[in-house]
This record gives sequence, structure tokens and C-alpha cells, in this order.
Amino acid sequence: MRQALRWIVLAAGLCAAPAWAAPGVMLKDEPLRATASATAAELAKTAKGEAVDILARQGGWSQVRVQGKTGWVRLLSVRGGAAAQTDVAGELQGVLSLGATRRDPNKVVAVAGVRGLSEEELKQARFDERALRQMESLGATAQEAARFAAEAGLSRRDVAYLPAPQGQAAGDTSWGGAQ
Amino acid sequence: MRQLPSALLLILAVLASGAQAAGLGGLLRGVLDGVQPQSQAQPADAGVGNLVQALAGGQTSAEEEADIGRRIAGNLLGAAPLVADEGLQRYVNRVGRWVAGGSERPELVWRFGVIDSEDINAFAAPGGYVFVTKGLYKKLRNEAELAAVLGHEIGHVLRRHHLKLMQQSQMVSAVGGLLGQRLRDKNQIVQNLIGNGAEIVARSLDKDAEYEADRMGMVLAARAGYDGYALPAVLQEIGHVPAQDSRMALLYKTHPHPEDRLTRLGEAVASTELPDGRLVENRLYRLK
Repeated sequence: MRQALRWIVLAAGLCAAPAWAAPGVMLKDEPLRATASATAAELAKTAKGEAVDILARQGGWSQVRVQGKTGWVRLLSVRGGAAAQTDVAGELQGVLSLGATRRDPNKVVAVAGVRGLSEEELKQARFDERALRQMESLGATAQEAARFAAEAGLSRRDVAYLPAPQGQAAGDTSWGGAQ
Repeated sequence: MRQLPSALLLILAVLASGAQAAGLGGLLRGVLDGVQPQSQAQPADAGVGNLVQALAGGQTSAEEEADIGRRIAGNLLGAAPLVADEGLQRYVNRVGRWVAGGSERPELVWRFGVIDSEDINAFAAPGGYVFVTKGLYKKLRNEAELAAVLGHEIGHVLRRHHLKLMQQSQMVSAVGGLLGQRLRDKNQIVQNLIGNGAEIVARSLDKDAEYEADRMGMVLAARAGYDGYALPAVLQEIGHVPAQDSRMALLYKTHPHPEDRLTRLGEAVASTELPDGRLVENRLYRLK
């Protein structure tokens, strides 16, 4: 019975995987982990530029198949290739590439029944004192927020801001000038 | 900068140094002092010239910042009201306030709101006003993703990105004032400084400001105990929305492509190991 169950799970896995698989490429050298955790066992070492199949996503992790093994790498360490990439949310049917979503200003089509926020609407907008007061009345105090966070087991950690990547720091400072 | 006439560019260049900018503020104050307040002289009117001067010198006080933010927020709400769901709004405020509490400006009067628009976008206004559209909210899969999106906008507020945008473009208003525009009260001059309605939120910040806000959003979410990688997860998600989708029009106009943002984030994170955090999936408030 247990054996049969294992086969069913395995078969389901095999069937499911191709539906999600999308070609990708590693952006840096990184270990392939057994589960979506930085402390999980290392299954293999992947190298920058190595081709992988992206199978799924979980939080900050991507499940990939590489070197005949299936495991997890950091979401930011792998990028969907130029070729097709499945929409992981499954909200959009069919296959589309992240790169193909680059904007073509000549091809904007309105989605039926959708109210957008066009520049024109924003320009025409009139100050709404009542709505603003309502928004201000719905604010949370620091204490209330802390209590709510604690209910979900959230606690503060010290994490330093990330510096701008090398080579881009100049751009950051030249823009941010006089403050 | 690109949209400024070249004559203005020249003025900007000449006035680039801090000392000279203060000089311009003084000049403007002189002009503004000549404008008669319409009715009773409110104490606030005395601050009008100072506000311009403060902006020119990049020395806006917290109060001035709040005045500007309040105007922008009220205008934005005029374009898209809050989603009529108090539970949702209170939820977003609790999460946002917790995330902002881990920043260097926890004392700001932080206010968060989900606005009734199917557009996929989020906005910040000076002083601590943060908005997420219903369209973007519906794409979120857990509380960590909400925290990350709010964290990105909180980053804009912390680094005063919109004030800097105004600082760069307010010379246009200044020239408007010199041409004899009558500026009657504080609200009017604040409106004059931010342009028409809420158009300031439709203006592009510098790309580096967006990349910076992305890095801050990740860190602020992580500081609050969430999974910092929720921000890249959201970027990946919205990157899959086709460019032709009108819900993405404004976001794509004002932000680098999600793919570029992911690449920059990847470079920024590089070898840094953010602490593991929570996704808090079961508590995400579902829209009615």
C-alpha cells in the first residue's frame, strides 16, 4: 500500500512537472538545496550561466531541475530565459515570456470594464477632504501594529539596508543630491 | 528634467548650489510676500514663502512634508476612493505601521490605504501616505508580499523621493509665480507646487530611486520578520502581466521593467543572506 502510494506521488510529480517547467539560467554560482531553505542539504553545485528548468516557486525560492536533479535555488539567482516561461500563477492561459511583457506603447488595449488610473484622471483629480479624513481615521497606532504582528509570530530583526550594487552607486548619489 | 524648457534648465543649472538655491527661496519669498492673502491672514500664510524656500534648499520640515503629502493624498483619493471595506483598510494599516516602525522614521504619521482601481500600482506621498491599488492587492498571495510592497513605498517616503522631484521641478511654479499668478493660501501654493491634481504620482522618479526603494522594501519587510524575498516574488508576478494590459500602463510608464528590477535586486543582494522570515499566508485579508 505504502509502495503504491509512493508510486502515485511520484507519477503525479512527473506529470505535474512538465506543465510548469520553463527554461531558465543561473545568474550566479549557487548550491542546489533539497528544500526551500538556506539550511537545507546541498544536492549539487550550480554555476553561473548554467541552464535549468524552472518548475515552481515558493516564497523567495525557485524549484529547478538541473544536472538531472530537482531542488531549490534563490528566486533572485535564476532568471527565466529568453524562451518561453510559464505564468506560474496560472492566471493567464498559455505561455508567455517575462521579456515579452516589455511594454509596447502602441499596443495598449483596455481590459473591458476595468477602471484604470490614467494620467488624465490623476491630473483632473479634485482634493477630497472627506475621503482623506476617513483614511486618517483608519490608521493604526504603533502599539496596535506591534500587537497584531506578535499574533502572527513576527518579531523585529536587525537587517542593514542593502547598498547599491557596484557601478550603480554613482547614479544613486548624483540623483539623490541635496537632502 | 527632460520636460523642462531649456531656458529653465539654464536657470536650474545656475541655481544648482545650495547657497544659491537659498537665495532663490528668498527671492520667491519676496514675490510671495507681495501677494495679498485673500481673506483673513492665517498663520499658515506666513509659512508659504518658507515652504518654497525649504523645498528649494532641500530642508523641508516634517510639518511642511505632511502638508504636501496631505494635499497629494487628498487629490489621489479624489481620483480613486478607498475601497469601502473598513476591515481591509485597518488590516493594511496594521501591517504597514509595523513595517514602517522598523524604519528610521517611525514617528511619522503613517497612513495606508487600498484604493478602488483595477490598475496594478502603488503610490507614496510625502509625510507617510501610502496607497496600494485594489488591482495590485488582488495579486498578493501572502502578508509578506503586502509588507514588501508597502516597504517599497515607505522607502520612497523615507528618502523623500517625491520632495526631490518637486525640488527639481518647482522652478516651473516659481516662474509661474513671477508671471503674476496669485497664490492665496497655503493649500493653493502646495497645489501649485505639486502641479495639477495628483499628477505628481504619475510622474517618473529617477530609476535609481525605484531600485533604491526595492532594496529598502526587501530589507524593511525582513526587519519586520517577513520573508524579504516576497518583494522579488511580487515583481516576478507582475512581470507576467502582458504589457498590453492597460492595468499596467502607468506602472510601466513610471517604473523600470520588473525584469530589470529583479536583476538589480539580485545584484544588490548578491552574497548578503537575508534572515529567513515568515510569509503569513493564512492572515492575508481577502477582498470581499
